[in-house]
Amino acid sequence: MDGTKPTVGIFGLTGCAGDQLAILNCEDELLRLVELIDIREFLMASSAGDPFARLDVALVEGAVLTRRDEETLLHVRRRARTLVAIGTCAVWGGVAAMGDGMDWHTGMRDVYGPAGDGFDAMAPRALHEVVDVDFSISGCPIEKDQFLTAMADVLNGNAPLRVCYPVCAECRMRECNCLLSEQGVPCLGPLTQAGCHARCPSLGIPCIGCRGPSDDANVAAGMELLTAKGLAPDDVARRLRTFAPLPTVTVEAAV
Amino acid sequence: MSRTVRVEHLARVEGHGGIAVELDGERVKSVRFDVFEGARLLERLIRGRRFDEVSPIVSRICAICSAAHALTSIEATESAFEVEVSPTTRRYRDLMFRGENIESHALHLFLLAAPDYLSYPSAIAMAERHRDAVALGLRLKKLGNLIQDTVGGRAIHPVNAVVGGFGRLPSTDELVALEDALESGVSDALSATEMVASLPPAEFVDADTAFAALHTPTRYGYCSGDAIVLRRNGDTTRFAIEDYRALTNERVVPHSHAKHSHNDGVPFMVGALARLAVNGAMLTEPARSVMRTLSLTLPSRNPMDNNKAQAVELILDIELALDDVRRLLNDGPPAESRVPVAPRAGVGTSVTEAPRGLLAHRYSYDDAGRILAADVITPTAMNAASIESHFRAAVAADPAADDATLTRRLEMIARAYDPCISCSVHLSRRRPPGDRRAPREGAPPCRTRSESW
Repeated sequence: MDGTKPTVGIFGLTGCAGDQLAILNCEDELLRLVELIDIREFLMASSAGDPFARLDVALVEGAVLTRRDEETLLHVRRRARTLVAIGTCAVWGGVAAMGDGMDWHTGMRDVYGPAGDGFDAMAPRALHEVVDVDFSISGCPIEKDQFLTAMADVLNGNAPLRVCYPVCAECRMRECNCLLSEQGVPCLGPLTQAGCHARCPSLGIPCIGCRGPSDDANVAAGMELLTAKGLAPDDVARRLRTFAPLPTVTVEAAV
Repeated sequence: MSRTVRVEHLARVEGHGGIAVELDGERVKSVRFDVFEGARLLERLIRGRRFDEVSPIVSRICAICSAAHALTSIEATESAFEVEVSPTTRRYRDLMFRGENIESHALHLFLLAAPDYLSYPSAIAMAERHRDAVALGLRLKKLGNLIQDTVGGRAIHPVNAVVGGFGRLPSTDELVALEDALESGVSDALSATEMVASLPPAEFVDADTAFAALHTPTRYGYCSGDAIVLRRNGDTTRFAIEDYRALTNERVVPHSHAKHSHNDGVPFMVGALARLAVNGAMLTEPARSVMRTLSLTLPSRNPMDNNKAQAVELILDIELALDDVRRLLNDGPPAESRVPVAPRAGVGTSVTEAPRGLLAHRYSYDDAGRILAADVITPTAMNAASIESHFRAAVAADPAADDATLTRRLEMIARAYDPCISCSVHLSRRRPPGDRRAPREGAPPCRTRSESW
């Protein structure tokens, strides 16, 4: 193996494996990409792993929901020069974190009965709540083009460009009619991080916030806008925290 | 002398699982397919959510089956609200299922399973000497994704399918592009058959196997079935869609290995091989010819044949998807892309075929269209007992083999099932990390749910 290639590890904690699948979905680029890097660990795609190799770049998807996840993440952090959170679960906590304060122990008991006590389970956490995260690529799943661009940046020693504007910006660029203001459909585009090229609104489907909040999300104004369209404040709050905690926290925490 | 053959962390599958088989001399004492994926409690978390929020959340159960989860969820909701969708919507959904199946099978056959047969740790390593084969797999995978992207709006976690129909239907140009891609896909699928036929034989299990699949009365497919069918030793049992629990809980006939520690019933296999066993009469001539090329005879006694069955479905799906696209082009765009939906209190069930087997969703709604309770049973949860029974059969057939040989065989069997461990979580027993105790004698393979319908 060429020692000059950057060493890379790709890891999945608890989640749907959609971000690792999005990497494997780079069908046109995959074989060229793997020639540029030295993949030392990628359990979903390879049975040859070196669990102690030093890593120039670690890509981690999924949220921390078990002690095992936590141990894996701490171990990866110790080995990696650059740790990149990929996907909404890793960056924000994702769908499992939507309970927002639900006592996880009670939840486990509720679903598994008394046996729930014996399981390795803990309340969901995003990566940055456990370790320092160097860069984040959000999305549920991550967008291919954004991932490949970010990889090129990281491999060249540059910081990946952050998308700081909301979905509405891209929706305008695509010249879609506004679902929220023109049709009164509860679209979360104004509060959600762009990068998806307004995938849903361009199909006439309201944004559900799967990429997490945008940097300057004005939640109060967003709530007002959505409730004015007839949605109960509870409904708005619940929708807003489907993929991420309510966006009152600063995004800096995840970066 | 006793020993334990163990795979700590199974590679090249979706999710996190391990294998442990305990031997006492030549006697298999216990077998275990362990899952240590975290529990996300999604069925609990969707309670109180409005009907339009449900399918995007449950699709996140699993990325590789996300279209199947989304569509099964949508159809369960439609069944609760008694919504009747248009024939065009049905055809597009059919197409989405086929797209996902093509992508998933290409990924599994070429990137996950084939490296075992050719003794490579990964498709990436395999590409050094078999670049054409890997490139072929990637092309087929891309074709499946193109269908999902065109119809579903995204390759993973589709966004375009909603309760009642679709957001926006593909344009004529997009359908023509799909038709072109599918036309070139036919020869790729035939090449895939040759690749699978050229793999060395993997015959380390020869066991009675029961199969369960959705029965599709008019056409080989993954949705719009009229019953769930269980085939075992020439006997056929039919279950109504709503009675899927009768199948998944059916453990009435004692398993042939009476000492089997984890099951008091009969395990059954779901997935491509089961679908061929149940819907074999629906096969097209090219698919039959592929079966002959692969020397695949039904019913099979070797779970490794699931890989061959997936190759048969590749050609079948490309052929039928092409037919779907041509019909859609012929029909022209419909006036409406979706029908109106009026929420009401009720219970709805949908059972479909995800790439790796039967998938059931059932929801109960209140009159405002909010979820009161949800039940999801996934293919890998159903397969768990069957996987263990085939582990046992493989080790019992050759208990003197060394650990390396046995672990390789166990891994290959697990992978042949194309397990999706994220999906299976809520039905499998789990244990804390580091707990290497053998399972309790008679421990159930699945938890008993506290919710009742």
